[in-house]
Amino acid sequence: MPGSINRRAVRWLRGQLPELVAAGAISSENARAIESHYGPVESRTNFSFVILATVGAALVGAGIILLIAHNWDDLSRAMRTIIAFLPLLIAQSLVVFVLMRRNESRPWREAVAVFDVAAVATAISLISQTYQIQGSFAEFMRVWLLLSIPIVYLLRTTLGAVVYVIGTIVWLFARWGFISQTNPMLFWVLLLLVVPYFWIRFRNDRDSRETATLAIALPVATVFGLGVTAEFAKATDLGGIAFAGLFTTIYLCGIKFFPRADERLHIVALFGGIGVGITAIVLSFEASWHMTREALWGQRTLTGNVGLALEFLFPVLAVCLAGWDIVRRRFQFSLAAASLPIVAAIAWGIANVCKPPTAEHLYKTDCSFAAAMLLNCYALLLGIDILARGIRTNSIARANFGLLLIAALAISRFFDSELSFVTRGIGFIVVGAGFLIANILLFRKRATAIAA
Amino acid sequence: MKRIPVLIFILVALAQLAVPAMLAWGRIQTLTHGRVWKFKTAPVDPEDIVRGRYVALRFAAATILSHDEAYQKFAAGTKVYFILKEDADGFAKIERISEKPLSGDNVIIGEISYFLDEEEGVIFPFNRFWVTEKDAPAAEKAYRENSQRTKQNAYMTVRVRNGDAALEQLYIDNQPLADYLRAQAAKK
Repeated sequence: MPGSINRRAVRWLRGQLPELVAAGAISSENARAIESHYGPVESRTNFSFVILATVGAALVGAGIILLIAHNWDDLSRAMRTIIAFLPLLIAQSLVVFVLMRRNESRPWREAVAVFDVAAVATAISLISQTYQIQGSFAEFMRVWLLLSIPIVYLLRTTLGAVVYVIGTIVWLFARWGFISQTNPMLFWVLLLLVVPYFWIRFRNDRDSRETATLAIALPVATVFGLGVTAEFAKATDLGGIAFAGLFTTIYLCGIKFFPRADERLHIVALFGGIGVGITAIVLSFEASWHMTREALWGQRTLTGNVGLALEFLFPVLAVCLAGWDIVRRRFQFSLAAASLPIVAAIAWGIANVCKPPTAEHLYKTDCSFAAAMLLNCYALLLGIDILARGIRTNSIARANFGLLLIAALAISRFFDSELSFVTRGIGFIVVGAGFLIANILLFRKRATAIAA
Repeated sequence: MKRIPVLIFILVALAQLAVPAMLAWGRIQTLTHGRVWKFKTAPVDPEDIVRGRYVALRFAAATILSHDEAYQKFAAGTKVYFILKEDADGFAKIERISEKPLSGDNVIIGEISYFLDEEEGVIFPFNRFWVTEKDAPAAEKAYRENSQRTKQNAYMTVRVRNGDAALEQLYIDNQPLADYLRAQAAKK
């Protein structure tokens, strides 16, 4: 990444190129080669300027609407209808202008994208009010999202794509609010619509902050979607495996597709890693393994089966991703973290060995205890592994996350086990001492490294 | 090169214009050619009346007691067709409920309510009346005062055509809401 002085020099050089070609000092092929050497022009654009331009466009749009709304009461229905379309028509003309004349300017593209998408929402809301059109917020969101996604592609707005992903989450919650078993299939369709755009960004501009933002927005949305899907598919028993698979997939993708030169983790890998830790702790509770057996015996529709398949998708994906790198002996990820879906699947198998639960026992069996035990051992190993990796790579954050996991595990057992106070007390002293010793070791190691 | 995105955008722009345009067009057709029905309003939970800029509506015609055979056979949330008829006072009431698609100027599409014990047994496809922000508090007061168990003096005119229902006007004390509010303001 060139520094700011460097960038200024590049801009100067670009400005000189036409003169140099005209003077015959270099050929036009040379000029093109120099241009392409420094990458696309738009990488120069300042991110904060883009945000300011976007906010500016939103304010202008809001201002226009307020001006119109000023005399709203006195206008006839026909007049209000015409006015409802005005901001949209202005926005659309601007989009055409930008596509023809300002296609290389990122602030222009981002700003008109926001203006157009807001104008669509304004037109629909104003028409709905004028003609007393009833309809739920979820329906409105769905139509709005579908009308907005082409803008993301046409104007190549990553900020817009992030907002779109947030919109899909909002839609999901708007649907989910009233009836608990919401069919989430449209959510996956809506989310898939933005994936090719992410792919384009990833190919062209992997290390930019915007791509990273989109890269984190997508898995966050997937987490919400998977939660609703697990409930819809009446296969909440499998939810544990599904989430284990999802977070492991995110972690592995973060390591594999966003490699970093230093020892630090990319934000996607970090999000996945934290998710793996939290899932391991959640699954270490015995209640996580009280099987309803709806997954196996429940009646499902076609979409229900698709939901079930989605729950299996991520664990399978995680195992394939990890397996591929292990076979090629080129893995950098934590084996302990990568094996969470397999451990969860084994625990699920153990929990289902016992005979079908009876109503008196409320799904609690000896097997669910055994499954929870397995996850407890796993979570402990995971914590130790992360701690060891932290110490090895000299990463205080990672070492402390490992310790935090162990501590969380200890606290969880403090609440739901029947150990004596003495045992619990000793447990806490051991964990606390571990924190202190590990941190002292790390800081001392770092101090000697700096001194050397 | 530049032409292709512009051409694609023109298609997108047409879609963006078409959605609100079609919403408006359907309503204009229903409002001009639809048959007028008068729906007597019912008391609304005071907490629920004005949500931002609309008056939440309830209708006397939506009250079907839960022991009524006509609707007991339907599960909560079922999409149904209500066949309307006028009662002796000229207000709309449900004559019967059908699951089979029907069309006409006496049919509205709705849903069986989830709240079986409540007085509101069915859900009409209209339950809010947009008002301007300025009028909202006065509209709320007027609606509440005229939609009580002891004093039911408000009704909504709804135009119905081919199964589509469009809210036309909220009448309070036999005057359109805007006129009523103006008269009330003049009195003070």
